[in-house]
Amino acid sequence: MNQLLTLALLLSGLLGLIAPHSIQAAEKSDLAARLAAARDGDTIEVDGGIHHGPLEINNSITLIGVNWPVIDGGGQGTVLHITAPDVHLEGFVIRNSGDSLDQENSGIAVEAAGTTIVNNRLEETLFGIYLRKAPNSVVADNSISSMDVDVPRRGDPIRVWYSNGVRIENNTIEKGRDVVLWYSEQLQVSGNTVTHGRYGLHFMYCDDAIVENNLLYRNSVGAFMMYSRRITLQNNTIAGNRGPSGYGVGLKDMDDALIENNLFLDNRVGAYLDNSPREVDSIGRFTGNVFGYNDIGVSLLPSVRHNEFVSNNFIENEEQVAIEGGGTMSDNTWSVAGVGNYWSDYAGFDANNDGFGDLPYRSERLFEQLVDNQPAMRIFLYSPAAAAVDFAARAFPLIRPQPKLVDEGPLMSPDIPAGAPPLPAEQNGRLWPLLLLVVMAVGLMSWPWLAPQSPISRRFPKYGKAKATL
Amino acid sequence: MEFSNVLILMQKELRDARRNRWFILYMVAFTTLALALAWLSLAGLGNYGLAGFGRTGASLVNLVLLIVPLMGLTLGALGLASERESGTLLYLLAQPLDPKELLLGKFFGLSAALMAALGVGFGLTGMMIGSFGGLTHLNAFLWLVLLTFLLAISSLSLGFLISAAVQRAATAVGVALFGWLLLVFLGDLGLMGTAVVLRFQAQELLWFSLANPLQLYKTAAILNLQQNLDLLGPAGVFALRTYGARLLPLLIGLLAAWTVVPLLITHQLFTRRGAL
Repeated sequence: MNQLLTLALLLSGLLGLIAPHSIQAAEKSDLAARLAAARDGDTIEVDGGIHHGPLEINNSITLIGVNWPVIDGGGQGTVLHITAPDVHLEGFVIRNSGDSLDQENSGIAVEAAGTTIVNNRLEETLFGIYLRKAPNSVVADNSISSMDVDVPRRGDPIRVWYSNGVRIENNTIEKGRDVVLWYSEQLQVSGNTVTHGRYGLHFMYCDDAIVENNLLYRNSVGAFMMYSRRITLQNNTIAGNRGPSGYGVGLKDMDDALIENNLFLDNRVGAYLDNSPREVDSIGRFTGNVFGYNDIGVSLLPSVRHNEFVSNNFIENEEQVAIEGGGTMSDNTWSVAGVGNYWSDYAGFDANNDGFGDLPYRSERLFEQLVDNQPAMRIFLYSPAAAAVDFAARAFPLIRPQPKLVDEGPLMSPDIPAGAPPLPAEQNGRLWPLLLLVVMAVGLMSWPWLAPQSPISRRFPKYGKAKATL
Repeated sequence: MEFSNVLILMQKELRDARRNRWFILYMVAFTTLALALAWLSLAGLGNYGLAGFGRTGASLVNLVLLIVPLMGLTLGALGLASERESGTLLYLLAQPLDPKELLLGKFFGLSAALMAALGVGFGLTGMMIGSFGGLTHLNAFLWLVLLTFLLAISSLSLGFLISAAVQRAATAVGVALFGWLLLVFLGDLGLMGTAVVLRFQAQELLWFSLANPLQLYKTAAILNLQQNLDLLGPAGVFALRTYGARLLPLLIGLLAAWTVVPLLITHQLFTRRGAL
């Protein structure tokens, strides 16, 4: 079999030297042979069919699938290797890689610069698209899902490793582990949907990345960013990330980050800041974001300094801003030149109608202070007693808590940014069980009247008469 | 014991409930407040297009924690005491009835009335949430209704205990109101203070707080709405890690115990005292 294959490869190699370099779509020859036969600059079209991997592309070719041809790895190793620069891959279904995490079995493994991977479907692959030292590559419009196993045993749907200038756009990624972007500068990550994974996006040592218009939904953590400078995170919708960490965005040692016009909704923690920014002369800027309906809007470690929060909307978070471990914050700014943030729990007024509250917003709930000091106290959340504690603190300033932060120019109305992608629509429940509930309740109440002859008066004649005379 | 007698007394209790102004007041108040709360949270969400059934459910839990124990305790407290005061209890006990039948008939009848009141409130509220398109978790909502029934019945049972223990209707209502204050505010506040001073561990705090039937209900309701207890911090995470899938049955079982045990004590007191 192997000898035959070698022969075929040799033959097609020879043919390739003579034949014209555009190979027709109708040809049904073995894909491996055609790849081996191709030369730099060739365009190969493949029309449907199932082809067996593992395959390797070691020439700078354009490989285009028509009618979704399948490359099936047969559950062994990596399905498709790309080792030549400037390869263009489009329109394939890549499936069934091996399941070894330590060998990093992948759908598509790229080890060359300038690769373009567009509009492919990756199914049942452990790792999806793995870029190793593949600068200036483009990964766009692919749909990627990992294997149906426990999250830690899945692979990363996209991993970018030492590859500067990579663009990752409009991919749909679900049920993977982490989208890992490490040691790569000038990344552009936009328009992707990442759902039901562990880390929606995980950045490490990625200076000057631009992350925009992504939907990170129902992952364990939305985006976690570490050890990078000048990252821009804008117009993203980051919602429903509720794992054990459950951060919408987590920033660790991030310098000069710009977090702008994002929607952070229904996460455990909207934004989590740990030692960010790290350098003394850098500033973390949060502008125009919505922190809404999270358990905690923004959570900071006590040592975090030099962040600027302006024109953000803090809407109905259980706790708007938390300082983990309690205490007060210093050197973080909540208003610049009189412009602050919108706080849904602001109780002040705006007598001169300039859109800014006339009294500063103070975050000083006694119950929150208790919870920040002793996290176990969170068990009293929603309990009327928790509200009573806050009321007591307001009514008797004797036990007034220290304000966590003061916003000198609170905005009177929210300003929701429009650029972020919408949340996926959820199906509305059926109404008939509720209608049934009401009908049953009314029926139950009228049961004694519906009985043809009141059984009470039949059983206890005197009782019925007594009532009749009443 | 004859079940037909219990059925007849249930019907009598349902008639009485409809004539009871307290009951009507509670029913109207609960329905109105539930509708208003749901509308407020949905109108806010709708304006921004930011969906979230969890938050609407949570505001209903808050309302239930305040009102439902008040309904159960006061109606239960009036259950025996008012009939004793007006002499009708003596009349009923003169009939060929087992005291057990009388007690069960009254208890089941008032339970049914409470469930009907809550059913109307929740049903209308749920339909309004649905008409806003916010009813994304119908099962969770129906479970919330079921858990609320349980809470109502256990506070009713506590109310009956008060009713059997005291002489006059006014005293019974007074004690019931104090009991409500204790369950809703004083118990948790006391525990909070103790926890701060003694620096309780998460698991100690969990067990002490679960001695309160309201906390049982709240924990079960959040578990039902969120599918986990991260919202309740370390104590919640500890509870779910330790008991996992058994946690919900455990909480429901404890809530049921809060119904059965007071009812048994009520039976003891009632059979000993009779109509006096």
